[in-house]
Amino acid sequence: MKRKRIKRIIFFSAAIILVTVGLYAFSEYNRKVKDLSKVKADMEISAADILAEYEKDEAASNQLYLDKVIAVKGTVKSLEKNDKGHYSVVLGNENSMASVRCSMDSIHQRKAEDLVTGSVVTVKGACTGFNSNDLLGSDLILNRCVIQN
Amino acid sequence: MNKRIILLAVLLTGTLMMKAQDKYFTRNGTITFYSKAPLENIEAQNKSVTCVLDTKTGNLQFALMMKGFEFEKALMQEHFNENYIESHKYPKSDFKGQIVNNDAIDYSKDGDYTAKVKGKLTIHGETRDVETLGKISVKGGKVIAAADFIIALEDYKVEIPKLVKDNISKTVKIAVGCSLDVLKS
Repeated sequence: MKRKRIKRIIFFSAAIILVTVGLYAFSEYNRKVKDLSKVKADMEISAADILAEYEKDEAASNQLYLDKVIAVKGTVKSLEKNDKGHYSVVLGNENSMASVRCSMDSIHQRKAEDLVTGSVVTVKGACTGFNSNDLLGSDLILNRCVIQN
Repeated sequence: MNKRIILLAVLLTGTLMMKAQDKYFTRNGTITFYSKAPLENIEAQNKSVTCVLDTKTGNLQFALMMKGFEFEKALMQEHFNENYIESHKYPKSDFKGQIVNNDAIDYSKDGDYTAKVKGKLTIHGETRDVETLGKISVKGGKVIAAADFIIALEDYKVEIPKLVKDNISKTVKIAVGCSLDVLKS
């Protein structure tokens, strides 16, 4: 009698554990990349400041910013739409070869369409790295961006 | 005398303009990679690819940030960055090469041209020679560069964990699509 009860308890706890593990694995497997409009920025900085830091020491800046969600405030230098209809907001000083290039999250890019060149805006995005080119200048790239305000 | 000066001026501005239109570029080109496997297909896109093409010499360059690849599933993106490509160690990837048959492409005339591209591709800190056929389309002052090619993960020392070795493709298809504008200098 007692043995039967113990067996039953073991069976049910094993089943519960299996289901929990299964559900966790399933949700983990299907987990989507976070929508940054729902994530608080790890830090806030101006476009000029972060560009200056990157130009001074890229490796050290990567340690600080790479993969972090950062909110960058700056002047809209240009708004670009590529051949596939995807928007990028470019922040920075008009006379400088360096910019913060914000690749918009496709769900949130509508808000970017109305941006005016010369206006000041804060864009939140995942820091993806610093891409410098002799000819094109340098870009700090933010990915999955959303307009913060 | 006056006529000569005007002619000289016209010629000069002509050559200057030609010089300015040699180079084409983009900062928001796309590169997508596909990996087909029994377990599941993997696809990711990078929308911030820079590309510079010198139409005079045929020199062609691409560069992208590895962390800029966007996946449908978060777990894949994390594994790609942390375990496979180690993007914290090797954040950039680039290609430097030439269009070998550049003389056969008339950049001043709209049309589609086959481009034979040869150069060095660096991924995961490893540089290998690659060669592929691509397409150059000249259309209304723009140059569209497109190419598909396949690379072997082994060549770039990208290790696949033993546990999933049989379920993940050992090769990856890379599709490049860049719409280039004239670089005004």
